[in-house]
Amino acid sequence: MPEVFIDGKSYEFEGQPKLLQFIMDEGLELPFFCYHPSMSIPANCRQCMVKVGQPVKDRDTGEYELDENGERVIRWFPKLQTACNFDVTDGLVVKTQESDELVERAQKDNLEFILINHPLDCPICDQAGECPLQIQTYKYGPEGSRFEVKKVHKPKRVQLGPRVILDAERCINCTRCTRFADEISKSYQLTITKRGDKNYPTTAPGETFDDPYSLNTVDLCPVGALTSADFRFRARVWEMNQTPSIDVSNGKGCNIDIWTRDNQVLRITPRHNPHVNDYWMPDVGREIYPLFNDNRISRPSVILDGENQIKSSWNNAIETFGEQMEAIKPEEILAIGSAHASVEENYLFAKFGNLLGISTPLFTPHIEPGSGDGFLITDDQAPNTNGVRLLGFEETDSKQLKTAVKSSNAKMILLLSDHLIDRGVLSADDLSGKYLVMFATNESETTKKADLLFPITCVVEHAASYVNVDGRIQRSFPAKETKYTNRRLDLEMTEGRLDRYGTKFDNWVTDENKVDCLPVWDLMALIGGRLGLDITYEGGSREVIKEVSQNMPAFSGVTYERMDDELGIELDTEHQTVKS
Amino acid sequence: MKYEFTEDELKQIEVIKARYPEARPATLPVLWIAQNKFGHVEPDVQKLVARTLGLPEAHVHGVAEFYTQYYKKEQGKFVLDVCTCLSCQICGGYDILHYLEDKLGIKHGETTKDKMFTIQQVECLGACGYAPMMQITNGVYVNHLTREKVDKVIHGLKNGEMPEFEPMEMRKVKPQEN
Ligand code: SF4
Ligand code: FES
Ligand code: FES
Repeated sequence: MPEVFIDGKSYEFEGQPKLLQFIMDEGLELPFFCYHPSMSIPANCRQCMVKVGQPVKDRDTGEYELDENGERVIRWFPKLQTACNFDVTDGLVVKTQESDELVERAQKDNLEFILINHPLDCPICDQAGECPLQIQTYKYGPEGSRFEVKKVHKPKRVQLGPRVILDAERCINCTRCTRFADEISKSYQLTITKRGDKNYPTTAPGETFDDPYSLNTVDLCPVGALTSADFRFRARVWEMNQTPSIDVSNGKGCNIDIWTRDNQVLRITPRHNPHVNDYWMPDVGREIYPLFNDNRISRPSVILDGENQIKSSWNNAIETFGEQMEAIKPEEILAIGSAHASVEENYLFAKFGNLLGISTPLFTPHIEPGSGDGFLITDDQAPNTNGVRLLGFEETDSKQLKTAVKSSNAKMILLLSDHLIDRGVLSADDLSGKYLVMFATNESETTKKADLLFPITCVVEHAASYVNVDGRIQRSFPAKETKYTNRRLDLEMTEGRLDRYGTKFDNWVTDENKVDCLPVWDLMALIGGRLGLDITYEGGSREVIKEVSQNMPAFSGVTYERMDDELGIELDTEHQTVKS
Repeated sequence: MKYEFTEDELKQIEVIKARYPEARPATLPVLWIAQNKFGHVEPDVQKLVARTLGLPEAHVHGVAEFYTQYYKKEQGKFVLDVCTCLSCQICGGYDILHYLEDKLGIKHGETTKDKMFTIQQVECLGACGYAPMMQITNGVYVNHLTREKVDKVIHGLKNGEMPEFEPMEMRKVKPQEN
């Protein structure tokens, strides 16, 4: 196999890798700014300089020429080369900053150049803490600057678009943002204006950067030049806690990170998954984060005397549910599952009904034809439509569902986390005279109608799986504590600095942002206990998915471990769908 | 303001486009057609060019902004591009720029009230050997500038006399004898 020598060590390679990417894939390091694995390579930041040379071959024999010590004779390139656009070839010899002083010096000097007109305002810059420029200057940069004259001034606080704000002085003109708009989102809305030390990105005059993927440029920007209008000045990144999750705003299931501080979700960023969303996600998927913090249902509610919903204790709510169930025949109960809820939740919901002799739950997909874009925004508005299908729920269109609800047979309705009134499937009148038991995360017009309302955990509070439009099952991790979870005890949860060191006696941590809700598996155990059913899952959702994989052929072999290792698992949706 | 190309100009643009495998490279020559016609390529003209070529507006804007030779707003009758890049700077480019600014009573980037002169500060125009120098309206180079020479050129321009393009005196290099 062909080999390349990097800092004196030999590495084998396959195919035609570029040097910078190869170095990173080998776990080595080289500073860089403009390169991005999913975009074209302009090699304009000049930060990734290395020294490279080719071994000299004897033309006649084809043998490598050797020096008196028996070492290969190397013909060095006359100048340093940028590694990002350099092809790795057999026998190539590379020296990085680790083994060559000239390279080290070149990288340092380049950083001094880049910083000449940079405002160095890290203390007030949102990017600080996750800034490649800051990190690489710290590691490879000069101690100070020799440049003591006035810096070039450029526009600041420019509202490039509704969601993105530009500080042109911080920009290092790597063109990652313009390349993103040209090559990935294809909105072609950005360009670099002016030249030399006066240049910076902008839109055409009078145009606004309203690209539905605009916030990806904020992630891409290797400095604080592009910041999110929403997240600006909200938190220092090192105070936050980052948890992997899945975008539930549509059917694509983009892989994301949930950023919390003091148990509040403050932002969402994409997480790399080459099978689903690469490095990107749509802006709408980020904008839904207030759903996880605000307007949450906390503590169960019951309707007394047909009018007012009042908060109730869990015991009382479960007792009420028990009494209602005992007073009704299973045939009079209609169960409605939800593409907005996870596989585990729907499975348990169906299992619970099944044990009581209630017929298979119905569900109606939440599709808005024409709203997708063929990229990462789908017509499907729910994260788990395929999951519910594969569980064998009875798929109906919204008309059929309405008919079923209105039918005189349905006296009680069990509804899992689908806001049917809000999305226009049902009207409030359709539910009159029915006893509605709802399991939900957020308040809505629909939950207002519930006679009995159980608050359940949302995607950022539990580990649960969702099957995306392409039949890929992926899962979330708990990122936010509920009243009943504790990140120090739950091994699935991670701790940020403030989570670890904060106390409720300081200014940064409170106990306030914890919702009084239960995951469906815990709730079902309690309700089951009241009704004499044994549905307990000591191991939580992990044990539920195990049971799903054993009982449902479509999910066979599915475990959390595999989903974690393989970044989700492609299910065979074509052949395994029980009913559609 | 509404800018349009005539049928003839559109035909000319088609000919230009046909020279390249795609529309992008036609941006430069078509911006020239526009500037020659309208005297500038302000944003609405850039949009016209983008529309005509079927290119993103941002792209045409970026190209127009890159070159000082394209005028992004209406300019005076004579645009004086004074070079202050390295060689010219060393040989007094800033002196000339400031002298000109004082003489015409405007700063660089501005146009005189009578719409006669615009001063631009530009980077190297490739005439470093004749520094300091300036260019007049993307055309004639005036080399080896002195204050007196500037006075003369301005006086001449006011009377409608464009200075001659000065041929470069090449230093004769004797072939080496071995
Ligand atoms: S704004 Fe950021 S991403 Fe765009 S060119 Fe400047 S440094 Fe690069
Ligand atoms: S990463 Fe190689 S030049 Fe920017
Ligand atoms: S520096 Fe003035 S022409 Fe080159």
